[in-house]
Amino acid sequence: MARILIVDDEEDVRIALKQVLERAGYEVTVAATGNEGLDVMKREGADLVITDVIMPGVDGIATAKQIREKYRDTRIIVISGGGRTAPDPYEPDAISTRSYLASASKAGADQTLTKPFDRDELLRVVRDLLDES
Amino acid sequence: MARHLNTIPGRLVLMLLLIHALLMPPLFYVISSTVERTMKDSFVDNVRNLAQIFVDRFERLEEDAAEQQIVVFLDSAILSGQGRYAAIEIGGRTVASSLMSDADTELFREDFAFGEHGDDTYYLSLPVVGLAEPAVLKLGYDESPIHEDFAAVRRTLIYVLAAYLLMTLFVAGLMSATIVRPLRWLQKASRAISSGDVDQELKADSRLEEISALADDLETMRRNLVGINERLKKEIAEREQAEADRRHLEDQVHHHQRLRSLGTLAGGVAHEFNNVLQPMVLYLELALEDLPADSQIAENLARVQDLANRAKGLSQQILTFSRQDSDARLVTEDLAPVVEEVVTMIRALLPATVDLRLDIEPGCSPVKCAPEQIKQLLVNLCNNASRALSDEGYVSVSLSEVAVSEHMAIRYQNLDAGQYVVLEVRDTGRGMDAATQERIFEPFFTTQEVGKGTGLGLSVVHGIVERHDGEIAVESEPGKGTQFRVFLPCAARRTVSAE
Repeated sequence: MARILIVDDEEDVRIALKQVLERAGYEVTVAATGNEGLDVMKREGADLVITDVIMPGVDGIATAKQIREKYRDTRIIVISGGGRTAPDPYEPDAISTRSYLASASKAGADQTLTKPFDRDELLRVVRDLLDES
Repeated sequence: MARHLNTIPGRLVLMLLLIHALLMPPLFYVISSTVERTMKDSFVDNVRNLAQIFVDRFERLEEDAAEQQIVVFLDSAILSGQGRYAAIEIGGRTVASSLMSDADTELFREDFAFGEHGDDTYYLSLPVVGLAEPAVLKLGYDESPIHEDFAAVRRTLIYVLAAYLLMTLFVAGLMSATIVRPLRWLQKASRAISSGDVDQELKADSRLEEISALADDLETMRRNLVGINERLKKEIAEREQAEADRRHLEDQVHHHQRLRSLGTLAGGVAHEFNNVLQPMVLYLELALEDLPADSQIAENLARVQDLANRAKGLSQQILTFSRQDSDARLVTEDLAPVVEEVVTMIRALLPATVDLRLDIEPGCSPVKCAPEQIKQLLVNLCNNASRALSDEGYVSVSLSEVAVSEHMAIRYQNLDAGQYVVLEVRDTGRGMDAATQERIFEPFFTTQEVGKGTGLGLSVVHGIVERHDGEIAVESEPGKGTQFRVFLPCAARRTVSAE
């Protein structure tokens, strides 16, 4: 069964996602920060990482970028509330109107999801990425 | 008086008077003295000839003529002309005319110069030869008629000269009038020009070369002034236009900035809202899964789920306004079918009383757009338009391609000169005042009654237009209606790629 790592600083999101994914039959690990998530990856690894984009410390984009660099086969989903603009990691000086999600795609995320998404939407994306459809 | 002397007629008259004051006395003197001399000479000649005739006749008298005969002879000499004195001296004896008194006899003077004795008599004495005794005939003639003639001649001369002077002054007056009249006209014309009336063309009605040359110069000056005036007017108009354009652009920039900062704020709120909604949505789904579908709890939770969906919709609209909805991908597409589809749909939804017209210009260029967003934009605009209608009137939707001019591009922050597809929604409804127009794109600004409409429709429209690198222009007049024009850059022209 595929292993999924959830990185989100919001406990409620972590719990809800964990429950939904576990009910769908996945093995789920959670991490509250980007660094914690990278530790989990080092220790246990994961087939799929779902990370929030705005987090204290290492944010979702940096997390996605590092995971993409180190673990080529791990799929990444970046999720966001959608309402903030982010600097482009490749053009930090440019005044950007890109959303975090667009930046995340550029940083290596396979898929992005805008909150609030429902269970079906999430599972469809997860199955797509894990080639289970 | 001095003022009159400083005019052309004044100067001319003064000059003529001076010339004549110098010229007339010697002229008068020369003419009068010449005439006088001539008259005197002829008088003297006549008198002498007459006297000679008497001498000849006396010589023919008989030598022994009685004294009585001599007196008669002398009387005839006085009567024959203007004689006053006639006497003859024969051998120391004087015989005088009987027409003279003894006192008169004493009058005779030896010198006989004309006009010198004061008694108006010209005396002359002639020797009579051929007599036994020496004899001298003495005659005196009245000069006064000649003096009267002199006076008459002088008077006439004065009259003639005075008439001549008057004539000269009259002619001078006429002459100065021919100069002064066109001068006055020129003065009037130049005064009109100096007071700003430069539209009247100047044409000299004088044949005087100097005047017409002056008038020509003045006309040239006037034309130049008109030219300068027109150039200035044009420059001022251009400057005013530029100033108006600048103000318009400033308003635009300010407006966009305000909406953008509102967007950032609202987007931030929506973001946090979504973070809260996310676990709520999932928990609800999990809970509903665990409950029997027909339980009261499940029913209630389903209601909560509906509410969560409504909240989701709201935050989605806010994100669209703040251009932070990342879902919409831009594709190159013809708008005509999109617009047709939306209008067909809206027609079905709107009350039958609403007259919705559609006019699509064939052959519009495709635009890079998110078709779903364009649909939403059109739906929102049509909704607003139909709500603005009273019982009468119509809503018209049109699609056309226009070339945006440099001039128009100057006025709008987000427009460049070039080809744009313009989606226009116009209504003949109640319209908006300036203050309302200023705020229509702000989120939650609404003129609808409380509870109707969220105040997000036009905010969403604005966000969509911004996201398409387009521009939206609003024209509205209370009571007349409103026109929204959405400018979307033609795809062929696009160089900046949107994500």
